[in-house]
Amino acid sequence: MSRIKYILRDTRRLIWRHFGMSLLTIFTAMSVFFVVGAMMLFILNVKTTINTLEDQLSIQVYIKPSGNLKAVADKIKTMSNVRSVSIITKEMALERLRARLGNQSDAVTLLGENPLPSSIEIKVDSAAGVPDTARELVTIDEVDDIVYAGKVAEKLMRLSTFVEHFSLVVLIIALVTSAIVLFNTIRISIYSRAEEISVMLKVGATSTYVAFPFVIQGFLLGFLGSLSASCVLAVLYFRAVEAMTELLPFFKMIESVHYLGKLALVLISGGTVVSLLASLVAVEKFIRKAGRPL
Amino acid sequence: MDIQFSGVSKTFPPNINALENIYLNIKSGEFVYLIGETGSGKSTLMRCIFREVMPTRGYVEVGGHVLRKMGRYELALYRRDIGVVFQNFNLLPCLTAFENVAFVLETMGVPKKTVNERVTEVLKNVGLWRRRGQYPQQMAGGEQQRLAIARAIVNEPSLLIADEPTGNLDDDTADEIMQILFGINAAGATVLMATHDRGIVDTYRHRVIELKRGRIVRDDPEGGYRADVKD
Repeated sequence: MSRIKYILRDTRRLIWRHFGMSLLTIFTAMSVFFVVGAMMLFILNVKTTINTLEDQLSIQVYIKPSGNLKAVADKIKTMSNVRSVSIITKEMALERLRARLGNQSDAVTLLGENPLPSSIEIKVDSAAGVPDTARELVTIDEVDDIVYAGKVAEKLMRLSTFVEHFSLVVLIIALVTSAIVLFNTIRISIYSRAEEISVMLKVGATSTYVAFPFVIQGFLLGFLGSLSASCVLAVLYFRAVEAMTELLPFFKMIESVHYLGKLALVLISGGTVVSLLASLVAVEKFIRKAGRPL
Repeated sequence: MDIQFSGVSKTFPPNINALENIYLNIKSGEFVYLIGETGSGKSTLMRCIFREVMPTRGYVEVGGHVLRKMGRYELALYRRDIGVVFQNFNLLPCLTAFENVAFVLETMGVPKKTVNERVTEVLKNVGLWRRRGQYPQQMAGGEQQRLAIARAIVNEPSLLIADEPTGNLDDDTADEIMQILFGINAAGATVLMATHDRGIVDTYRHRVIELKRGRIVRDDPEGGYRADVKD
């Protein structure tokens, strides 16, 4: 029990008596986790925008006059990549046309009898699957014709794939860079105390006793660094959301506090674990070196 | 704590023979002076006992421990039973005098109350009680030396290794320090002390081992500082 108290006291000493170094470590941790967090937010917002665009992507299926709308719609519902199916009757199609014409909606009276066909509107799960879904729809006998934004779907599909790969690479680079920067900062902090570590081992301290305060220090400083990074990011992000809402109202950024809270939690716990591991590796390296006989 | 050197040699790169074929037996409870010129191998021999230096050939056995075969944890436990006064003191600069001495007991998990009592007693013995709140760099060389001695004896070790413990001290303080070392020895600890101080070796007669160029040239149970021994 006494040992645990001594280790906790030594951790406190380590942080306060080397306050400049502790502050530098917190600031470094904050900077690297700010960059990682900003990357995550950027990638998630781009992905959300692509998902929104995918949500709006639809396939219009026109049925032969002899076809049964309800039966075809039920058949389509069972297909993969189909998120929702809506039946658009002739009347609904005319109403839509009226709405689209706005002031000139009276022009539809010139059409005489409603010439618009009934159709089925399909919303898909992903843009990537649209061409396959379209090919499958054509094989249904009752289907007369299908209309979809093929090029848009193709571009969205490419963009989505690119963003997925890009975000993965960027995240890996950001995480590895942050781990290296943090590891080196902690190593410098420990290096300045290498002589002390060596003396501690010489007077009979076990490796664990020497290492624990450094590891706890890494844990605490990493936690404080990633926590401050999350706070700064939150303030800046919500300001950015406000600015974007005014400038580009059609561009919807993630605003769910619950979702962003989860993201902050991931950043804080990830940052704390990375710092803890960096401290553990750095101090273990020094202990091994200091304990090696000449 | 018995010390046994069996055919110990140590060569440092590129090709410096610090110790050559040392055979040595020191019995538990002995007080031994280690003398010789600078560079004769005194510090290397002491560092072998402390396992800071690993022999190139031969082996060292201390209190039944064959030092070559020790793991990290076992080494820490072994070192807790040895007090060392390093030539360069090796004090912890970010700890006060009190904390430096207390640290040794704390690593062993000794309760705070006992640590406070024991450290107070030892600091009073070496005349540093009034300086307990100061950091080593705020102390004079002699005071740092006394602090290093206080740290070495606080856990009442079975073996005390002291590398020039009176080197920077005036005669009166050196005498006080010697009395402390004799006290530790009287309590049963083996004491191995490297020194250049002819006066101390001649005044307080104990076994003398003299080294020259890494070899033992004299092992005299009668003691006394005689420099006229030939190779």
